[in-house]
Amino acid sequence: MPQAEPVAAPVSDAALIAAWQGGDEQAAAELVRRHARVLARFLSGAGALEADLDDLVQDTFIRAFRSVGKFRGQCQFRTWLLTIGGNVLKDAARRAKRAKLVPLEHELQATDGDPHERAVAGEAEGRMQECLRRLPRLQREVFLLRAQQGLEYQEIAAALGTTPGAARVHYHHAVKRLKEHLR
Amino acid sequence: MKDEVRLQELADRLGTAAAERLDLERTARAVVERLRAGPRAESWTWLQPAWLRIAAAAILVIGGGLVTRAVVWHRAPGSAVVAPVGEDVTDLTTEQLREALTVLDQPISVEGAGDAGVEGLTAEELRALLQTLEG
Repeated sequence: MPQAEPVAAPVSDAALIAAWQGGDEQAAAELVRRHARVLARFLSGAGALEADLDDLVQDTFIRAFRSVGKFRGQCQFRTWLLTIGGNVLKDAARRAKRAKLVPLEHELQATDGDPHERAVAGEAEGRMQECLRRLPRLQREVFLLRAQQGLEYQEIAAALGTTPGAARVHYHHAVKRLKEHLR
Repeated sequence: MKDEVRLQELADRLGTAAAERLDLERTARAVVERLRAGPRAESWTWLQPAWLRIAAAAILVIGGGLVTRAVVWHRAPGSAVVAPVGEDVTDLTTEQLREALTVLDQPISVEGAGDAGVEGLTAEELRALLQTLEG
């Protein structure tokens, strides 16, 4: 009976970063494949238009790879990437100076499920995005990192350069305002 | 409690559909190509709007300063213009009018006019110059 080939252990982000710094382009491509969807979700939650999403994701990775020497491992690479994404989005919004809402029709492009349910879900999501957009940036990012990405306050604080206590306060303020808005 | 559950559900769903539609391979390829094109893009990052605004403001301040300085230096020799620009001469006293006429009668020396400083001016002329500048 032939023996099954041993499954290679997944390469860590740190190893891929080191490989990229050594000139391995495929390591960079692998990091993009690994984190692009999570980053896109975060950016979309933070108010990016779907039409801009690909560009924003690319810009974030470019900025991250070019300044990867500044990454000291204070948090996970993914968390660091998300905070860079927040900066990229802020810069893009400043340039565009226009409303950043995912239009409802984008939500309706999905073909699975009941159309009415999809429309209702899309509306609720749109309202939440609208409210998130109105929150102060720190509250919005802490909320997304906590509620959407499931990160601990310690990790959030390290990424955003604040304390876990302050991150917790920002989160609770955001939740309070979102609840009021969605009621 | 019900609100919190709903909020968490919405947060879980937020952006999922849009992220799923992202073409990972295409994005990865595009990033690698842009990285390869590399340093050129990096070297342009300092030319962001904020820097351009700062540079424009600096040019305006320095340019404005140079123009003002040039104007002051050019006016200095004939600075005994008693009536500030825009003022009616009817407001002047007899003494001021006489002084203005005296100045106008003087021949204008073109050579070195731009180089003349305020050192050669009389107290009266200096006062008139100051009035002009304040006016």
